[in-house]
Amino acid sequence: MAELRVEKLNFQRGDFHLQLDELRIAQGEKVAILGENGSGKSTLLQLLCGVLHGSGTIYYRERLLQKIPVAERAQLFSLLPQFSEVIFPFSVAEVVLFGRFPHAQGNSFSDEDKYLSELQLEKLDLLQLRDRQFNQLSGGEKRRVMLARVLNQQAPIIYLDEPNASLDIRHTLEIFELLSQRAETVISPVHDINLAERFFNRFLLLKQGKLLADVSRDQLTPELLTETYDVLVTRGAAAFTFCHQ
Amino acid sequence: MKKLLVIIFAIALAASCLIGATAINPFAASPVERDILLGLRLPRVLFSAVIGAMLGLSGSVYQLTLKNPLADSFTTGAASSSALGAVLAIAFGLPLPLVPVAALATGLIGLLTVYRLSKTGGIINPVTMILAGVVMNIVASSVISFAKYFFEDSLSSIVFWLMGGFFVVDWGKLLLCAVVLLIAYLLFAGKALQLNLLALDEHSAQTLGVNVDKLRRVAFVVATALVAVAVSHTGIIGFVGLIVPHVARSLFGSDMQQNLFFSTLLGALLLTLADAAARSIIPGGAELPVGIITALLGGVFFLYLLQTRREKFWHG
Repeated sequence: MAELRVEKLNFQRGDFHLQLDELRIAQGEKVAILGENGSGKSTLLQLLCGVLHGSGTIYYRERLLQKIPVAERAQLFSLLPQFSEVIFPFSVAEVVLFGRFPHAQGNSFSDEDKYLSELQLEKLDLLQLRDRQFNQLSGGEKRRVMLARVLNQQAPIIYLDEPNASLDIRHTLEIFELLSQRAETVISPVHDINLAERFFNRFLLLKQGKLLADVSRDQLTPELLTETYDVLVTRGAAAFTFCHQ
Repeated sequence: MKKLLVIIFAIALAASCLIGATAINPFAASPVERDILLGLRLPRVLFSAVIGAMLGLSGSVYQLTLKNPLADSFTTGAASSSALGAVLAIAFGLPLPLVPVAALATGLIGLLTVYRLSKTGGIINPVTMILAGVVMNIVASSVISFAKYFFEDSLSSIVFWLMGGFFVVDWGKLLLCAVVLLIAYLLFAGKALQLNLLALDEHSAQTLGVNVDKLRRVAFVVATALVAVAVSHTGIIGFVGLIVPHVARSLFGSDMQQNLFFSTLLGALLLTLADAAARSIIPGGAELPVGIITALLGGVFFLYLLQTRREKFWHG
């Protein structure tokens, strides 16, 4: 049973048209969405999350997305948007605790919620920032806090829109390693193709709103990437290679 | 801290009952003074506290739901469009109990117009919102002026009402306002966690399980009901809804579970003190409009906070 099944998805906004005839994603798959700016990566993510509406059908565990109440959706998937904000001064710990909202009983967070949030802070190297105000952090730190919030939601499918945007190389590696080891399904637009190739095992290549290819790692060829990005791609040794110590 | 503030508030309430045109010694009150205390002072002090609480609570909710630190009943146009409905109701000679209903109807129309205008592509533009709110104020004020000019027969009651303040208080009005406040407070307090998530961007809040549009609609209607009922009884009293949530936030954090309570309490405290001052500053029984005092007290305190704790207010 596919965890996520999409049929005849269509979305139109001005001149831009996104079309996806069929897509099935099974539990635990790590799917990178590749494509140039404006190819529809974020739009696709938003459609799959139901925050943007197109035509066609999206099923989660064979349940139609439109029929799933908003509160229940939060148990099925979580989303890290490309741009996230917090108005008013909330602390890092508070923002990460927000991730437990779908699990909160009544109108307050339990001790377990707070304990799990602390674990998340630790995992993402954020303990020393826990009492700082979210809005006073650097771009990369904010990103990690938001990622901690998303992971804290403990949803079986995690949508991450460019999770490593504004992250330094050490934190990028740490986070991608963390994600690749987790049991959840991860679906994520990524701009760094080398990193995507290393940490993901399935690739959706988008071009001008159309799915050009849906391939596994060994099928991700320079020719395919050339066609996707309109630049000449060859395989070679990178100038620097980064590995986590 | 919470206890301390409640004690300060209780002392302020008691002290406000004793000061005014005649100072009353509660331990040696003459029968006339006792009548003044129970028949005039007490309902008036409680009424100012309830109205202040309503304005503080509505400001706290407006700022969060509209994602704008400058949002309150005044800057969103909700207060002046509520006033417009109340003025028209008075001008057309509608029965008094219908005045708040008319105020709520026009208040919601005003607020929703401002909200629609400031929202593009699912995102509320804070600057557009303030601009639209200011324009809504001007439009509502000019229609009010027209009503004053056109409905000459009701002119005196409109003008008297527009002056604002707590001149005519009875227990019935007080009870109505207290009930509206209580219902609104309980409703918001029950949704404090969800309201917190509105501080996030829309997509994050939505995928965390909050039905953003629905929550916003409920919050708009209830917060505007607070404003409409307050405005229909006292006219427009500015500044309370704008500054009180900021003061509460800078002292007790942004968490709505705290902010709803402290915005309500501080709103009540501010207006109680302001009204007590308005009754006592000019010797001989003359009264200042309370709006002058709230703007002065609130404004100076706000400037002080802006200077010292700006980073706690909002980012940027």
